Amino acid sequence: MTHPDSDVGEFAVATHGLSKRYGRKLALDEVELRVPEGSVYVLVGVNGAGKSTLFKTLMNLERPDTGAAEVFGLDTGGSGPEVRAQIGYVPERQEAPYRYMSCARLLRHAAAFYPAWDHAYADHLARALGVPPEQRVGGLSKGETRRLQLVMALAHRPALLLFDEPMDGLDPLVRRRALALLAEHLADAPTTVVISTHHVQELESLADHVGVLRGGRLVAQMSRDDLQRTVRTYELEAPEGWEVPKDLHATALRRSSTGRDMRCTLVGEERDITGRLLAAGARVRGSSTLALEDAALAFLPEEPS
Amino acid sequence: MLVTLDPRDERPLYLQIVDQVRRALLVGTLRAEDPLPSVRELAGELVINPRTVSQAYGELEKEGVIYVRRGQGTFVSPTIHPDRQERRAIVRGVAERALLEARRNGLGVEELVTMIEEVAAEDRGAA
Repeated sequence: MTHPDSDVGEFAVATHGLSKRYGRKLALDEVELRVPEGSVYVLVGVNGAGKSTLFKTLMNLERPDTGAAEVFGLDTGGSGPEVRAQIGYVPERQEAPYRYMSCARLLRHAAAFYPAWDHAYADHLARALGVPPEQRVGGLSKGETRRLQLVMALAHRPALLLFDEPMDGLDPLVRRRALALLAEHLADAPTTVVISTHHVQELESLADHVGVLRGGRLVAQMSRDDLQRTVRTYELEAPEGWEVPKDLHATALRRSSTGRDMRCTLVGEERDITGRLLAAGARVRGSSTLALEDAALAFLPEEPS
Repeated sequence: MLVTLDPRDERPLYLQIVDQVRRALLVGTLRAEDPLPSVRELAGELVINPRTVSQAYGELEKEGVIYVRRGQGTFVSPTIHPDRQERRAIVRGVAERALLEARRNGLGVEELVTMIEEVAAEDRGAA
């Protein structure tokens, strides 16, 4: 498990030095994304970190300034249509095309573009997610539009799903049902998923890879097992006035009123960290793993409040 | 058998599933030749990655607890003896969790064992 490259073999998605600038803002900065085939890869980052730009570049809806992106070994710039045929994309923006069509008609229309479209499966998904078949697309609520997009993305069983905030606008019950459908979908056919969300805890049990984007840079990327092994909360006993060594980059630091008890999140192999803390004069009373979301937050600097 | 996962449990999810199957065997809610839910069913029900379920089932198969009947699904082994290996595995898990909790509270092993016996004696007295 420590060598994600060796046991998965191929990458479904890979970017090489991918950069994109909007005016003065660097939206993507030398991004080296590696999504192993068959993984559920969660992209974490605050608004404006570059997640949506990254998705659009993979869909060839945006051209990178420098660098390249590959999907199943195909260059997204040179083979846009071939690449898109293998992708089920749910964009962040809530606009559905063909507003005058009924939902049922739009699904039949979409089916014509995908040889692999599974009509029975599309019906099953639409019913399970409560997509109103006779309703016009233009009259759908935000949540209903989202559900329709999910049906369209899944019904042709693409090898790659690109989900940009897919649960946005869905109520908690539908969110849970959508995630259960996704879990079943993954059991039925080998599928790679790249998914961005503001609710990482919802994907706690589905994700097996994590990437953290900060200001356009991919600051962390690893398997979920590696993330949870190397990002830990340490309980420390230290002399009064003791400080965590700067080079350990502690986050989520808390200390008791006496200053003798401390708790902080540190990134690194547990034995190495424990040794360095001991050498610096603090005793580790224990350490524990964090929830996926909290572990990912260790790579985002704390905003001064 | 109903599988429930505890988000506060630090052990990997697949091990939690393995333990729940063991527990079900021990308690008797799961018996020899009973069918287990399919990977798809359990993944959808628990909203977890199907790979995690496969990993758990793989582990149980390796231990001889369950077996796969081609095209029919996964079943509990006909020769299962939950009283031996399963019991041991479960006791071990409980002990590990108790020890971890004790260590976190700055307690030693002897203190913990003594107190477990004390509390158990009180329970017996009360019953």
